[in-house]
Amino acid sequence: MRKGRYAGQMEYRAAKPLIHVRDFRMQFGDNTVIDGLSFDVARGETFGFLGSNGSGKTTTIRALLGIYRPTSGTLEINGRVFSDDFGARLGYLPEERGLYKKESVLDVMTYFGRLKGLSRAESQRFSRAYLDRVDLADKADVRVDKLSGGQQQKVQLGVTIMNDPELLILDEPTKGFDPVNRRLLLDIIEDRKKAGATVMMVTHQMEEVERLCDRIILLKDGKSAAYGTIDEVQNQFGGRTVRLKYSGTLPESPRYRVGLQETNYAELDLDDSADEADVLRELVNSGLLVRGFVAAKRSLDDIFIQVYGDNAAIDKTVK
Amino acid sequence: MARHNLGTVVQFEFTRTIKKRRFWIATLAIPVLLAIVFGLVFASSSNTKSLTEAQKSDKLSFTYTDASALLDPAVARALGGEVEADPGTAVERVRAGTLNAYFSFPATLGKDPVKVYGADHGIFKNGSYEAVARQLVVLSAQEKVGSAELAAAVQGNFRTESETFKDGQVSGGLETVVPPLLFLVLFYVVIILLANQMLASTLEEKENRVTEMILTTLNPTTLVVGKVISLFLVGAVQAVVFAAPMVIGYVFFHDQLSMPNFDLSHLQFQFWPMLVGALLFIGGFILFTGVLVAIGAVMPTAKDASTVFAPVMIMMFIPFYIVTMVVSDPSNIIVQIFTFFPFSAPVTAMLRNGFGSLNAVSAAVVVAELFVFGLLALRLAVHLFRYGSIEYSRKLSLRTAFARKG
Repeated sequence: MRKGRYAGQMEYRAAKPLIHVRDFRMQFGDNTVIDGLSFDVARGETFGFLGSNGSGKTTTIRALLGIYRPTSGTLEINGRVFSDDFGARLGYLPEERGLYKKESVLDVMTYFGRLKGLSRAESQRFSRAYLDRVDLADKADVRVDKLSGGQQQKVQLGVTIMNDPELLILDEPTKGFDPVNRRLLLDIIEDRKKAGATVMMVTHQMEEVERLCDRIILLKDGKSAAYGTIDEVQNQFGGRTVRLKYSGTLPESPRYRVGLQETNYAELDLDDSADEADVLRELVNSGLLVRGFVAAKRSLDDIFIQVYGDNAAIDKTVK
Repeated sequence: MARHNLGTVVQFEFTRTIKKRRFWIATLAIPVLLAIVFGLVFASSSNTKSLTEAQKSDKLSFTYTDASALLDPAVARALGGEVEADPGTAVERVRAGTLNAYFSFPATLGKDPVKVYGADHGIFKNGSYEAVARQLVVLSAQEKVGSAELAAAVQGNFRTESETFKDGQVSGGLETVVPPLLFLVLFYVVIILLANQMLASTLEEKENRVTEMILTTLNPTTLVVGKVISLFLVGAVQAVVFAAPMVIGYVFFHDQLSMPNFDLSHLQFQFWPMLVGALLFIGGFILFTGVLVAIGAVMPTAKDASTVFAPVMIMMFIPFYIVTMVVSDPSNIIVQIFTFFPFSAPVTAMLRNGFGSLNAVSAAVVVAELFVFGLLALRLAVHLFRYGSIEYSRKLSLRTAFARKG
């Protein structure tokens, strides 16, 4: 009886989302930045938090982490409003990032390790192992401001994952990272996922979202524009695309609209009622030499552009 | 967790400061400077001593004429003097270098000056002519009086010891004033040494973009309190380093450095003035620290913060413009305003406490006021740090900061 009840509690705890946001509203003066936002992040999942610049992503994260106080609504981590007690189990990589510059790498990492509840010895052991992994073992006693930008990014990542956090919140994690550190970061996220950690990441890189995220939310003007698994969002926005390689002249047809056209390559956005086989047959019958024909759901890139329009184009150029 | 983190913050902040070469260069500069000054004083003192010894053995020779008839020829001879046989040519002989010195004592010493003529032996040695002439008159007068006590009385050369009473008890003199004023000295030393560091203490998190990572692992109150404690410890280290050469000089080279004698055993450490002094010091320290940290939290850079810093520091020195009034007329309205206005209160109240003009009620009000305003300032500093430090590159608007409180 007792065992059954305990097992039930465990199941309940496992089912309960790690992050729970309901009717979140944030106002700065007369400016409403977030308006009635609700979403959950389940334990162990990787959650993509998407949106154009100024859509309220960073504000939501800061409110979730207690840096801002919400105007109204509920924002909870592990069933409670965030407090620094949870800091030991959190790995947070903010959008605005930096380190103490005048201290040695090891001193800075040890300090953050200690703040996250590790002993001095544990902090130093973790730091040295990490620095060894990222080829910075010989820089342990060097001042942070004497490192290159890329090396500082590696140290920053090390600080983020100290104490094996069960929740990683990464605000535009690859922003400003060179390809080597971007690769390192993605490896770290994969590692943490395998270890069962929950990851919430803000990003504009759709290939990262498609590769890493289980579920996503698209934020527009402080409201949710789409929310669910990647499949669900793709279905929500409907549409299928055919990636076509060909020779000859591409005919016009009511079954599709030409989205992108380059030399001997085109992407066709299919009409909702059109069947892929009918489209292929029509193309062949028109005398077109079809070299490749791949039908797929619409990419997140396309959906992003559809949702955010011109703003998205600017964002992606900036990135 | 909080207590553990407070220790971690204090240790990190303290260690990182005292590990810096810049800190030790700045801290050691003052004792090194003092050591150089002491060295010069020591060398000069040895030189003066040997010069004095040389002068003692090098007896001054002079001739004199005495129109006053006050001088004792025996005393004059003992000092190296002879009665001038040819007064008409004496000055010319001194000018020609054939006579070392000639003193002409007038008939009315009270009205006319003693004329002293001598060969130039340098500005230092030349002074000995007047000294010998004066000594000759004093010793001769004492001989005539025939009583050392009477001579001392005539010269006003005697001591007095006072004892006053208040409420049936012996009230103190200067020896009771000095001990409570030590807190005033300590207050100035601590604030002057640490003010810049207080101001910059939270700027570093902002300038280095560390704020968000800190705020998610640490309560901002813990961070600010930890920084204040570490600053206090740093100040203590500096005070010890600064004081070391003076203590060493006083204990081991007291005579060589011509240091004044302080008979510390006469100082009276009375309980209530010392307690009030300590409370005023702590309250004032909390108030100024809170205000300086709050300024640092609002401003984006150290340069911007320094413009607001000056008026706060001036407030600390302003009471010294009315120090005479504080001592002589403590009930004056200006003194009263300075006593209770928070920023001038610590210094004014500590002065009045030292001079015994701060009554118990006023002391209680000022102490309470300093603690209340000090803790409010610290609380404000924490709030502004929490919201101000997120505004990484711009000045925080106070309206925005309080609007964010939600």
